[in-house]
Amino acid sequence: MRTFAFPAEWPLAGKRRTTVGIVAAIVTLALVAAVVSPRADFAQFAQLVVNGVITGSILALAGVGATLIFGIQRIANFAHGDFLTIGAYAAFVVNSLLGQNLALAAVGAMAAVALFAVVAHFVLFRPLRGRGTVALALISVGLGLVIRNGIAIVAGSEIRRFQVSQSDVIELGVVRLAPGQAVAIAVAVIVAPLVGLFLARTRVGKRMRAVADNRDLAAVAGIDIERIAVYVWILAGALAGLAGVMLGLEQGTFDPNMGVGPLFLIFTAVVLGGIGSAYGALFAGLALGLAMELSTWDGFFGGLDAKYKPVLAFVVLILLLLYRPQGLLGRARIL
Amino acid sequence: MDIFNVPFWTFVAVIAGIYTIFALGLYVQYALTGLPNFGHVAFAALAAYTMAILVIRFASPMPLAALAGLLVAVAFSFVLGIPTLRLRADYLAIATVAGGEIVRYLALNLQGLTGGPLGSIGMLGPTKLAQYNGPWDALIRRIVDALKESSIFAPVASRDFAMLLIVWPLALLLLLVFWLMARSPWGRLMRAIREDEAAAAAVGKNVFRAKMQALALGALLGGLAGLLLAWQIGIVTPDDYQPTFTFYAYLILILGGTTRIWAIPFGAALFGLLYSGTRFLNFFPLSLFDSGERAYLRLLLVGLLLIVLMAVRPQGLLGNRRQLLLQ
Amino acid sequence: MTPAPLLAARDLRKRFGGVLAVNDASIAVAPQSITALIGPNGAGKTTMFNLLSGFLRPESGAIEFDGRRCEGQPSHALAAAGLVRTFQIPRVLTRMTVLENMMLAGTGQPGEALGAALIRPRRVARRENEIRAQARELLALIRLDRLAGDYAGTLSGGQRKLLEFGRALMTRPRLLLLDEPMAGVAPTLALQLLEHIIDLRATRGMTFLVIEHDMEMVMAISDRIVVMDEGAVIAEGLPGEIQRNERVIAAYLGGIDQSAPAVSGSRA
Repeated sequence: MRTFAFPAEWPLAGKRRTTVGIVAAIVTLALVAAVVSPRADFAQFAQLVVNGVITGSILALAGVGATLIFGIQRIANFAHGDFLTIGAYAAFVVNSLLGQNLALAAVGAMAAVALFAVVAHFVLFRPLRGRGTVALALISVGLGLVIRNGIAIVAGSEIRRFQVSQSDVIELGVVRLAPGQAVAIAVAVIVAPLVGLFLARTRVGKRMRAVADNRDLAAVAGIDIERIAVYVWILAGALAGLAGVMLGLEQGTFDPNMGVGPLFLIFTAVVLGGIGSAYGALFAGLALGLAMELSTWDGFFGGLDAKYKPVLAFVVLILLLLYRPQGLLGRARIL
Repeated sequence: MDIFNVPFWTFVAVIAGIYTIFALGLYVQYALTGLPNFGHVAFAALAAYTMAILVIRFASPMPLAALAGLLVAVAFSFVLGIPTLRLRADYLAIATVAGGEIVRYLALNLQGLTGGPLGSIGMLGPTKLAQYNGPWDALIRRIVDALKESSIFAPVASRDFAMLLIVWPLALLLLLVFWLMARSPWGRLMRAIREDEAAAAAVGKNVFRAKMQALALGALLGGLAGLLLAWQIGIVTPDDYQPTFTFYAYLILILGGTTRIWAIPFGAALFGLLYSGTRFLNFFPLSLFDSGERAYLRLLLVGLLLIVLMAVRPQGLLGNRRQLLLQ
Repeated sequence: MTPAPLLAARDLRKRFGGVLAVNDASIAVAPQSITALIGPNGAGKTTMFNLLSGFLRPESGAIEFDGRRCEGQPSHALAAAGLVRTFQIPRVLTRMTVLENMMLAGTGQPGEALGAALIRPRRVARRENEIRAQARELLALIRLDRLAGDYAGTLSGGQRKLLEFGRALMTRPRLLLLDEPMAGVAPTLALQLLEHIIDLRATRGMTFLVIEHDMEMVMAISDRIVVMDEGAVIAEGLPGEIQRNERVIAAYLGGIDQSAPAVSGSRA
């Protein structure tokens, strides 16, 4: 019996020098561009960093859940974007209908989506396991359609917004934030590291990573995979719920289709981090969010038109699949 | 509306024919070769938009523009296939989802090129109504005139009926061609890849090349369906190419049976019936929903059906369950 | 003077995560020989097969087939060149018939090219008839002819092993890598299979590299034996030498005591 080792504690530790190299190259390129460009505007840069952290945290939180679900049950969950939508609407109920504050609304959203995810696991995905990735993916697509249109029927298809002031502006040095954005960035700065710590330090977190990294090896090492799978759905649901609230705050408004667009960005983050790697998704989500926002910075060769942000993500995805499908942080897998 | 409304059902039949071709593309990719394509709609959208843009903005002749549209669709299948077809199937699924989304996103946001949310009408700017359908309408009108002169078809002669006469023979011809191909050694190779690509590689078959062929052929058929849809509707908008379009095709395949190619038109007809037929479901308790809500209800049912069919009858209504459940 | 080997691998190395599955292993297979690759479970035999047949890429080392370097070549190219392998757990195409499984492996079918069946139906049909005849002949050889029309998914484990063996023969390979060909095959049939292997070497000049746990069989048919343990080749030689080799006895018997018995059917 070979000894069973947990994955390395932090993604950048050890021999992953190529990754560090790639990241360093991007940062250097950005800095050079900043210095060379006469139009470098650092207030705008700071603003974009803030936006990027928000977008990135949304992708990171959603991505951690999606990648763990994939690693543990081999389900590419195409309903994951719609999990975010459930979160936003659950928070809307607590916030606008019950008149509670946003923090409570976010907790409600996390609970609601976690519950939904666990029910989906027990009712749908667990009984159907072993059906093959494609069949399960199609089933998750069906689930997404049910969620999206179910919400549209129950809650109406009109545009919704949380009860936060739309006109107030919070000034933080050179950065100006709407209150909703301020809440989102606060959540991002607190929760993303907490998730990282949870995965790194707690027993359940370590086991989740172990199972997602190599299911068979983890089973041999005596980990109760069935139980860990339930925990993973709870965690994935809670994080998706929170990400949904943040997305609603960041956009200002939302409707039942809000999960459709981010889905491919979430998947891009998952692939970027290496499918099945929780740290990878966390890191890659943040990196992708920052890259998308900073690409519009004037200092970066005049700045990309904002409408090309998703195109940038798509190009990143295709190049990644072409040259490094195991993800920036992942390692090659067999078959 | 009357349930026995001939023009309405003629229209439904045309759409079912176009869906047959669209779903046939997915049949080649998914049912025959095992490639999960969750962004099939992108191929239809690319072909339609390319055709419309070339005709409207570059005054290109219609046949040439249509050909270019098909080429662009096939080229996009290479963009998605080359990076992913050497990897596990999930990577293709993810790439196709992203591809479908990005095409729709570009259609919505590259206003100058695509007309934005207005679609092809807005391609020449807000002041001028653009349209690409002139040559096609001329062709259809000629068919309608010919029909009016015949004694049998005169009562039903209409634009949609003429379209019917183009779409369904084409669909049946394509079904025949792909039925023959699926039975040929080429089809055997595709099925072998669906079953176990390592086994196919182990006996010397170039799996990547074969998968790329299937993906590109599917893209060609998807593009053709996109062109036909654009000609039928007379306008191309981002809303016509929602991601759900792809899953209608999956539903058609599953309704018909994923193991039988001739089941596709039945699946498409059944789907057309279910989909269009829901507008007649205005009795209690469905009358509690207003028409807008019923559209969502319809999509919800599509999702539910997809789940239930995949869970209970993954081989489809007409498929062979014994064959599918073999391990 | 020994002839130049048909297949030669030098210093192959492959790592999974932190584990060295194959550690600087070298192997040579003489033409028209039957070489056995043995070793305890987890010794790296199947990984070695995957490296030799192009299903995995070695991190370092060189492979030569028929005098040509081939490491890093795709598996289908190697198979087409005559280096064909079977799998430890047979990979039959379950939703295709036994006959279709066999016919898939037929070579030189122009109908596999896109559209050829529509453009040149007669040429395709002619070759198809030849391939069908060849497949039926081989099916009779492996005693599956009566199941030709059944889905391969209905076959037993032993029958699947046979089908995969037959399918590999359809490609008319020069070198056949067999991963536990006798596992799960009925003893009388296994004996016949053995005779076929020896016969194929004599009549067609085929070469075999076989992973096998059944020591009796290994000793009976092998010209040479290569022993692996913990990713490395620890011994290589004639059957008699291997039987007396202290290191082999220590490693191999130790491995057997801990994991699986030496009889066929064990899984690494």
